[in-house]
This record gives sequence, C-alpha cells and structure tokens, in this order.
Amino acid sequence: MEALLSDLEAAGFARTLRDGRWGYAAVNAAHILGIGMVVVSSLTINLRLAGLWRRTEFAMLYRPLSAMAIAGLLLAVTTGFLLFSVRAKDYAGLGVFQLKLVLIAGAVTLAVALHFGGRWRKLHPGSTAARLHALVSAALWLGALASGRLIAFAGH
Amino acid sequence: MRAILVALVFATALTLTAQRSDAHHGWAWTTGGNIDLTGIIKTAKLGNPHGVLTIDVEGEIWTVEVGQPWRNRRAGLKEGNLAVGVEVRIVGEPSADLKKKRMKAEKIFIGGREYPLYPDRD
Repeated sequence: MEALLSDLEAAGFARTLRDGRWGYAAVNAAHILGIGMVVVSSLTINLRLAGLWRRTEFAMLYRPLSAMAIAGLLLAVTTGFLLFSVRAKDYAGLGVFQLKLVLIAGAVTLAVALHFGGRWRKLHPGSTAARLHALVSAALWLGALASGRLIAFAGH
Repeated sequence: MRAILVALVFATALTLTAQRSDAHHGWAWTTGGNIDLTGIIKTAKLGNPHGVLTIDVEGEIWTVEVGQPWRNRRAGLKEGNLAVGVEVRIVGEPSADLKKKRMKAEKIFIGGREYPLYPDRD
C-alpha cells in the first residue's frame, strides 16, 4: 500500500499538479463543481422523497437529477483522485479522509440500490420507507461533504 | 417543511464543525502580530496545496507554513533553498494558541537574503 501510494505521488500528473499554480486550482474548482452537482441533486431527490414538492411528479424530478448526480459523482471522483495523488500518503492516513470515503461508499450504495432495478419507481414519496431513505442518504452526503471539507483543516 | 428543518440543522452543524477547526488557510487562526525565529530545517514538504517546514529552534520544533510553489518561486526561492539542514530565519504570525508552535511565514531569510512570501504584509 505504502509503495503504491509513493508511486502515485511520483506519477507525472501528480508532480505537475503539486508544482503548478493554475492546474491545481482548476482541478480543485472542478472537484467542487462535481461535489455541488452530486450533493445538491441527491438532496433535492431526498427532499422530494421526504414529502416536499408534492405537485411535482417524482419521475420528472428524478430522471434529470439522477443523471446530474451520476455526472457530478464521476467528475468528483476523477478530480478527487488527482487531488489525492498530490499528497497520497498524507491523505490516506488522515481520519477525516477515511471517514469521507466510508460515507461516500454508503451514500453511493444507497443511491445504487434506489436507482437500479427501478426501486425508485415503486417507492412512494412521503412514505416511511422513502423518508428513511431520504434521511440516511442526506446524512451520508452531508457527512461526506463536511469530512471532505475538514481535510483542509486537519493533518500535518 | 420538516425536510427544510432537517436541512437547516445539517447546514448549521456543518458550519459549526468548520469553525472550530484550526485552519492553514488565511490568517484567521494567527495572532495578528509577528514573531521572528531562526532554526534549522528538519523536514520540508513543499508543493500544493501548501508547503510545510518543521524547524529546530534551539531544541524546540516549530511547524512553519510557507507558500505554495508559485508563491515561493515569486519570492525568489529556488529548489534546494528550503532543504533539510538549511538555517532559516522566519518572520511571520504564530498560531493564536502558542502551545501549538505553529506559524505562517511572511518572509524568509536565508544567508542574509530576504525572500518575501507576502510582500503586502508587514
């Protein structure tokens, strides 16, 4: 693991990002955009599931927002990997970083369970099951957001 | 309505967690006044998102935040200037909690030459 992380830090793209000015800033900004897309889309779906905006048909909201969430997640994961490569060993050993990965894994698992097999079509917004899903999912995404933000404030 | 309340609670919790931590970014965590330390570099970790040195000041180990690569280059620092074993004098602001022995450099002096990281700060 240690050797793998060292190799990652030594990779060409990791060096470029570590020493440059605008490259790192651009990847950082794209990471924030990805986070914004996935978290806000997921929270909106969750609030609808919890019973908000009853006059908007769930499918009309779910289709575009789930696509947006997937796109945001892919962007955040790709740019996140690049940011991680800059200081891989430091970040890997950081408690808040590990917590963030666990929370994201949980949130994504829940979203996948809702998305695939069409469970989102059967779940009635406002029902106990839907509210429970919404609450857990929102807590996981916001927890991931908070622990991710704390990476910049912890360590060293 | 209930959902909005839940969201508000989360947002508040998020803000509170973010506020209680000690940051590297900005100057909010520092005292506002400068200190002046001279020591030998023990470790140097340079590069984005920010550079960190540890220096031995007469037996006390201080953590010194220096610039990102572009800021260090702008100040005139070359590769090898901030290397283990080099004697540096650092002027900058310490953490408000002095027990942390952590500071953010505004200027660095090596061998009598000044390298201003933040030329606009005194």
